Amino acid sequence: MATAARVTAPESDTGNLIRDSALGLVPETLQHFLDLTVAVWDAGPLGPAEIELARLRSANYVGCVMCKAVRYDVAVADGLSEEKVGLINDDYRNSELPARDKLILQFVDLYLHNPGPPDAAFQQSLDEHFSKAEQTHLALLLAYFNGFSRCAVALGGMPDSMPRMEISVPR
Amino acid sequence: MHQAPVNYRDAVADLPEIGSRFADLYRSFWSLASVPASTLELCRLRQAQLLGSDAAWQHEEVELPPGQRDSLRQWPGSELFSAAEKACLEVAEVHAMDARAITDQQAEAVKTHYGEVGYVALVQALGVFDAMTRLGLIWNLSSMEVD
Repeated sequence: MATAARVTAPESDTGNLIRDSALGLVPETLQHFLDLTVAVWDAGPLGPAEIELARLRSANYVGCVMCKAVRYDVAVADGLSEEKVGLINDDYRNSELPARDKLILQFVDLYLHNPGPPDAAFQQSLDEHFSKAEQTHLALLLAYFNGFSRCAVALGGMPDSMPRMEISVPR
Repeated sequence: MHQAPVNYRDAVADLPEIGSRFADLYRSFWSLASVPASTLELCRLRQAQLLGSDAAWQHEEVELPPGQRDSLRQWPGSELFSAAEKACLEVAEVHAMDARAITDQQAEAVKTHYGEVGYVALVQALGVFDAMTRLGLIWNLSSMEVD
Protein backbone atom coordinates (compact mmCIF):
# COMPACT_ATOMS: atom_id res chain seq x y z
CA MET A 1 0.00 0.00 0.00
CA ALA A 2 1.39 3.40 -0.96
CA THR A 3 1.59 5.84 1.90
CA ALA A 4 2.75 8.85 -0.11
CA ALA A 5 0.21 10.68 -2.24
CA ARG A 6 1.03 10.41 -5.94
CA VAL A 7 -0.64 13.69 -6.85
CA THR A 8 -1.22 17.03 -5.19
CA ALA A 9 -4.85 17.80 -4.48
CA PRO A 10 -6.20 21.17 -5.60
CA GLU A 11 -5.94 24.03 -3.15
CA SER A 12 -9.68 24.58 -3.14
CA ASP A 13 -11.51 24.55 0.18
CA THR A 14 -15.13 24.30 -0.82
CA GLY A 15 -16.08 21.76 1.84
CA ASN A 16 -17.02 19.25 -0.86
CA LEU A 17 -14.73 16.29 -0.29
CA ILE A 18 -14.78 15.28 -3.96
CA ARG A 19 -14.21 18.75 -5.38
CA ASP A 20 -11.37 19.37 -2.89
CA SER A 21 -9.71 15.99 -3.52
CA ALA A 22 -7.46 14.94 -6.38
CA LEU A 23 -10.62 14.08 -8.32
CA GLY A 24 -11.10 17.82 -8.62
CA LEU A 25 -8.02 18.06 -10.83
CA VAL A 26 -9.79 16.73 -13.91
CA PRO A 27 -12.17 19.46 -15.06
CA GLU A 28 -13.96 17.37 -17.69
CA THR A 29 -15.10 14.69 -15.24
CA LEU A 30 -15.59 16.55 -11.96
CA GLN A 31 -19.17 17.70 -12.35
CA HIS A 32 -20.18 14.26 -13.62
CA PHE A 33 -18.68 12.64 -10.51
CA LEU A 34 -20.56 15.09 -8.32
CA ASP A 35 -23.86 14.56 -10.13
CA LEU A 36 -23.53 10.79 -10.03
CA THR A 37 -22.67 10.79 -6.33
CA VAL A 38 -25.85 12.64 -5.44
CA ALA A 39 -27.98 10.56 -7.80
CA VAL A 40 -26.73 7.26 -6.36
CA TRP A 41 -27.83 8.31 -2.87
CA ASP A 42 -31.01 10.21 -3.74
CA ALA A 43 -32.50 8.86 -6.95
CA GLY A 44 -32.75 5.13 -6.40
CA PRO A 45 -35.16 2.89 -4.51
CA LEU A 46 -32.63 1.30 -2.13
CA GLY A 47 -32.32 2.98 1.25
CA PRO A 48 -29.08 4.53 2.54
CA ALA A 49 -28.35 1.64 4.93
CA GLU A 50 -28.57 -0.86 2.09
CA ILE A 51 -26.43 1.32 -0.17
CA GLU A 52 -23.83 1.51 2.59
CA LEU A 53 -23.89 -2.23 3.10
CA ALA A 54 -22.94 -2.80 -0.54
CA ARG A 55 -20.40 0.04 -0.54
CA LEU A 56 -18.59 -1.33 2.51
CA ARG A 57 -18.45 -4.88 1.14
CA SER A 58 -16.84 -3.50 -2.01
CA ALA A 59 -14.47 -1.28 -0.01
CA ASN A 60 -13.34 -4.24 2.07
CA TYR A 61 -12.44 -6.15 -1.09
CA VAL A 62 -10.60 -3.26 -2.71
CA GLY A 63 -8.77 -2.60 0.54
CA CYS A 64 -9.42 1.13 0.54
CA VAL A 65 -8.65 2.18 4.12
CA MET A 66 -10.48 5.49 3.78
CA CYS A 67 -13.57 3.93 2.17
CA LYS A 68 -13.71 1.31 4.93
CA ALA A 69 -13.41 3.91 7.69
CA VAL A 70 -16.12 6.20 6.36
CA ARG A 71 -19.77 5.94 7.34
CA TYR A 72 -22.24 8.12 5.51
CA ASP A 73 -24.42 9.87 8.05
CA VAL A 74 -27.58 9.16 6.06
CA ALA A 75 -26.88 5.43 6.35
CA VAL A 76 -26.35 5.64 10.10
CA ALA A 77 -29.58 7.61 10.41
CA ASP A 78 -31.27 4.90 8.33
CA GLY A 79 -30.30 2.29 10.91
CA LEU A 80 -26.92 0.96 9.81
CA SER A 81 -25.30 -0.08 13.09
CA GLU A 82 -21.68 -1.01 13.74
CA GLU A 83 -22.96 -4.39 14.84
CA LYS A 84 -24.32 -4.93 11.34
CA VAL A 85 -21.15 -3.55 9.75
CA GLY A 86 -19.23 -6.15 11.76
CA LEU A 87 -21.20 -8.89 10.00
CA ILE A 88 -19.98 -7.80 6.56
CA ASN A 89 -17.32 -10.47 6.37
CA ASP A 90 -16.79 -13.72 4.51
CA ASP A 91 -19.06 -15.58 6.93
CA TYR A 92 -22.05 -13.35 6.25
CA ARG A 93 -24.10 -16.24 4.85
CA ASN A 94 -24.13 -17.82 8.31
CA SER A 95 -24.77 -14.55 10.09
CA GLU A 96 -27.95 -13.10 11.58
CA LEU A 97 -28.28 -10.64 8.72
CA PRO A 98 -31.73 -10.57 7.11
CA ALA A 99 -32.11 -12.43 3.84
CA ARG A 100 -32.34 -9.21 1.89
CA ASP A 101 -28.98 -8.00 3.25
CA LYS A 102 -27.36 -11.36 2.50
CA LEU A 103 -28.57 -11.14 -1.08
CA ILE A 104 -27.05 -7.66 -1.42
CA LEU A 105 -23.70 -9.00 -0.24
CA GLN A 106 -24.00 -12.02 -2.52
CA PHE A 107 -24.61 -9.72 -5.47
CA VAL A 108 -21.56 -7.62 -4.52
CA ASP A 109 -19.45 -10.77 -4.49
CA LEU A 110 -20.77 -11.76 -7.92
CA TYR A 111 -19.93 -8.32 -9.28
CA LEU A 112 -16.44 -8.39 -7.79
CA HIS A 113 -15.33 -11.96 -8.30
CA ASN A 114 -17.20 -13.45 -11.22
CA PRO A 115 -19.16 -10.76 -13.08
CA GLY A 116 -21.90 -12.36 -15.13
CA PRO A 117 -25.64 -12.95 -14.99
CA PRO A 118 -26.83 -14.44 -11.70
CA ASP A 119 -27.64 -18.14 -12.00
CA ALA A 120 -31.31 -19.14 -12.06
CA ALA A 121 -31.61 -19.81 -8.33
CA PHE A 122 -29.88 -16.56 -7.34
CA GLN A 123 -31.93 -14.56 -9.84
CA GLN A 124 -35.11 -16.08 -8.44
CA SER A 125 -34.09 -15.05 -4.93
CA LEU A 126 -33.28 -11.55 -6.15
CA ASP A 127 -36.65 -11.31 -7.87
CA GLU A 128 -38.44 -12.46 -4.71
CA HIS A 129 -36.79 -9.80 -2.55
CA PHE A 130 -36.03 -6.90 -4.88
CA SER A 131 -37.87 -5.02 -7.57
CA LYS A 132 -36.25 -4.66 -10.97
CA ALA A 133 -35.41 -1.03 -10.18
CA GLU A 134 -33.79 -2.04 -6.89
CA GLN A 135 -31.62 -4.58 -8.71
CA THR A 136 -30.59 -1.94 -11.24
CA HIS A 137 -29.80 0.47 -8.41
CA LEU A 138 -27.64 -2.13 -6.71
CA ALA A 139 -25.61 -2.75 -9.87
CA LEU A 140 -25.15 0.96 -10.60
CA LEU A 141 -24.15 1.92 -7.07
CA LEU A 142 -21.59 -0.86 -7.10
CA ALA A 143 -20.25 0.37 -10.41
CA TYR A 144 -19.80 3.79 -8.89
CA PHE A 145 -18.40 2.91 -5.47
CA ASN A 146 -16.12 0.11 -6.62
CA GLY A 147 -14.58 2.32 -9.29
CA PHE A 148 -14.27 5.14 -6.77
CA SER A 149 -12.49 2.93 -4.22
CA ARG A 150 -10.07 1.62 -6.84
CA CYS A 151 -9.32 5.18 -7.87
CA ALA A 152 -8.74 6.30 -4.28
CA VAL A 153 -6.28 3.47 -3.70
CA ALA A 154 -4.43 4.12 -6.96
CA LEU A 155 -3.91 7.78 -6.05
CA GLY A 156 -1.79 6.77 -3.02
CA GLY A 157 -1.56 8.65 0.23
CA MET A 158 -3.57 6.01 2.05
CA PRO A 159 -2.62 5.47 5.71
CA ASP A 160 -2.41 1.96 7.14
CA SER A 161 -5.45 2.62 9.31
CA MET A 162 -8.03 5.31 9.96
CA PRO A 163 -10.61 5.79 12.70
CA ARG A 164 -14.29 5.46 11.88
CA MET A 165 -15.67 8.80 10.73
CA GLU A 166 -19.09 9.96 9.68
CA ILE A 167 -19.40 12.12 6.61
CA SER A 168 -22.24 13.65 4.65
CA VAL A 169 -23.00 13.02 1.00
CA PRO A 170 -20.97 15.67 -0.86
CA ARG A 171 -23.42 18.02 -2.54
CA MET B 1 -36.78 -14.09 -14.72
CA HIS B 2 -36.42 -10.73 -16.41
CA GLN B 3 -35.72 -10.52 -20.11
CA ALA B 4 -32.08 -9.64 -20.70
CA PRO B 5 -31.55 -6.08 -21.92
CA VAL B 6 -29.77 -5.54 -25.22
CA ASN B 7 -27.80 -2.44 -24.39
CA TYR B 8 -27.00 -0.12 -21.52
CA ARG B 9 -29.92 2.22 -22.16
CA ASP B 10 -32.37 -0.68 -21.96
CA ALA B 11 -30.72 -1.96 -18.80
CA VAL B 12 -31.13 1.31 -16.91
CA ALA B 13 -34.54 2.20 -18.37
CA ASP B 14 -36.25 1.86 -14.99
CA LEU B 15 -33.67 4.07 -13.27
CA PRO B 16 -32.83 6.73 -15.86
CA GLU B 17 -31.58 9.43 -13.48
CA ILE B 18 -28.72 7.34 -12.12
CA GLY B 19 -28.19 5.51 -15.41
CA SER B 20 -27.82 8.71 -17.39
CA ARG B 21 -25.42 10.21 -14.81
CA PHE B 22 -23.17 7.17 -15.06
CA ALA B 23 -23.32 7.30 -18.86
CA ASP B 24 -22.44 11.02 -18.75
CA LEU B 25 -19.40 10.26 -16.61
CA TYR B 26 -18.34 7.46 -18.98
CA ARG B 27 -18.67 9.73 -22.02
CA SER B 28 -16.65 12.51 -20.39
CA PHE B 29 -13.42 10.52 -20.66
CA TRP B 30 -13.38 10.57 -24.46
CA SER B 31 -12.56 14.26 -24.76
CA LEU B 32 -9.95 14.89 -22.07
CA ALA B 33 -7.18 17.45 -22.48
CA SER B 34 -4.84 15.39 -20.31
CA VAL B 35 -4.87 11.89 -21.86
CA PRO B 36 -5.52 11.00 -25.53
CA ALA B 37 -8.77 9.14 -26.13
CA SER B 38 -6.90 6.52 -28.15
CA THR B 39 -4.73 5.70 -25.13
CA LEU B 40 -7.79 5.30 -22.94
CA GLU B 41 -9.41 3.12 -25.61
CA LEU B 42 -6.40 0.79 -25.49
CA CYS B 43 -6.80 0.53 -21.71
CA ARG B 44 -10.55 -0.12 -22.02
CA LEU B 45 -9.93 -2.87 -24.55
CA ARG B 46 -7.21 -4.46 -22.42
CA GLN B 47 -9.65 -4.51 -19.49
CA ALA B 48 -12.21 -6.18 -21.78
CA GLN B 49 -9.66 -8.88 -22.56
CA LEU B 50 -8.77 -9.40 -18.92
CA LEU B 51 -12.40 -9.52 -17.78
CA GLY B 52 -13.39 -11.75 -20.70
CA SER B 53 -16.05 -9.42 -22.06
CA ASP B 54 -16.68 -10.08 -25.73
CA ALA B 55 -19.20 -7.22 -25.95
CA ALA B 56 -16.69 -4.71 -24.55
CA TRP B 57 -13.98 -6.08 -26.82
CA GLN B 58 -16.17 -5.83 -29.92
CA HIS B 59 -17.20 -2.29 -29.04
CA GLU B 60 -15.25 0.56 -30.60
CA GLU B 61 -15.25 3.86 -28.76
CA VAL B 62 -12.29 5.35 -30.65
CA GLU B 63 -10.67 4.30 -33.92
CA LEU B 64 -7.14 3.03 -33.26
CA PRO B 65 -4.08 3.05 -35.51
CA PRO B 66 -3.76 -0.05 -37.72
CA GLY B 67 -2.55 -3.16 -35.92
CA GLN B 68 -2.91 -1.99 -32.34
CA ARG B 69 -6.11 -3.86 -31.58
CA ASP B 70 -4.78 -7.13 -32.98
CA SER B 71 -1.50 -6.74 -31.10
CA LEU B 72 -2.93 -5.67 -27.79
CA ARG B 73 -2.18 -8.91 -25.94
CA GLN B 74 1.48 -8.53 -26.98
CA TRP B 75 1.78 -4.82 -26.14
CA PRO B 76 4.90 -5.08 -23.93
CA GLY B 77 7.10 -6.23 -26.82
CA SER B 78 5.32 -4.49 -29.66
CA GLU B 79 6.66 -1.43 -31.46
CA LEU B 80 3.09 -0.44 -32.35
CA PHE B 81 2.63 1.09 -28.90
CA SER B 82 4.32 4.24 -27.69
CA ALA B 83 6.12 4.52 -24.36
CA ALA B 84 3.23 6.62 -23.05
CA GLU B 85 0.67 4.02 -24.11
CA LYS B 86 2.73 1.25 -22.53
CA ALA B 87 2.96 3.16 -19.25
CA CYS B 88 -0.84 3.43 -19.17
CA LEU B 89 -1.39 -0.18 -20.19
CA GLU B 90 0.91 -1.34 -17.41
CA VAL B 91 -1.12 0.56 -14.83
CA ALA B 92 -4.34 -0.73 -16.42
CA GLU B 93 -3.24 -4.34 -16.07
CA VAL B 94 -2.26 -3.99 -12.42
CA HIS B 95 -5.43 -1.99 -11.69
CA ALA B 96 -7.49 -4.84 -13.12
CA MET B 97 -5.98 -7.28 -10.63
CA ASP B 98 -5.47 -5.13 -7.52
CA ALA B 99 -5.32 -1.35 -7.54
CA ARG B 100 -3.26 -1.47 -4.34
CA ALA B 101 -0.48 -3.19 -6.27
CA ILE B 102 0.19 -0.20 -8.57
CA THR B 103 3.69 0.92 -7.71
CA ASP B 104 5.01 4.45 -7.36
CA GLN B 105 7.28 3.75 -10.33
CA GLN B 106 4.34 2.76 -12.52
CA ALA B 107 2.43 5.87 -11.48
CA GLU B 108 5.50 8.01 -12.10
CA ALA B 109 5.86 6.60 -15.61
CA VAL B 110 2.35 7.77 -16.48
CA LYS B 111 2.97 11.19 -14.90
CA THR B 112 6.15 11.56 -16.96
CA HIS B 113 4.03 11.54 -20.09
CA TYR B 114 0.71 13.00 -18.95
CA GLY B 115 1.42 14.82 -15.69
CA GLU B 116 -0.44 14.51 -12.40
CA VAL B 117 -3.75 15.43 -13.97
CA GLY B 118 -3.23 12.72 -16.57
CA TYR B 119 -2.55 10.13 -13.89
CA VAL B 120 -5.70 11.10 -12.00
CA ALA B 121 -7.70 11.00 -15.22
CA LEU B 122 -6.29 7.59 -16.07
CA VAL B 123 -7.17 5.95 -12.76
CA GLN B 124 -10.59 7.59 -12.85
CA ALA B 125 -11.14 6.20 -16.33
CA LEU B 126 -9.93 2.73 -15.37
CA GLY B 127 -12.45 2.59 -12.54
CA VAL B 128 -15.33 3.70 -14.73
CA PHE B 129 -14.39 1.50 -17.70
CA ASP B 130 -13.95 -1.51 -15.43
CA ALA B 131 -17.37 -0.80 -13.96
CA MET B 132 -19.01 -0.43 -17.37
CA THR B 133 -17.51 -3.72 -18.49
CA ARG B 134 -18.69 -5.48 -15.33
CA LEU B 135 -22.20 -4.07 -15.78
CA GLY B 136 -22.19 -5.41 -19.32
CA LEU B 137 -21.28 -8.86 -18.05
CA ILE B 138 -23.78 -8.81 -15.17
CA TRP B 139 -26.58 -7.69 -17.48
CA ASN B 140 -25.37 -9.90 -20.34
CA LEU B 141 -25.45 -6.96 -22.74
CA SER B 142 -24.92 -7.71 -26.40
CA SER B 143 -23.90 -4.12 -27.12
CA MET B 144 -21.87 -1.69 -25.04
CA GLU B 145 -23.35 1.39 -26.70
CA VAL B 146 -24.46 3.78 -23.99
CA ASP B 147 -26.53 6.05 -26.27
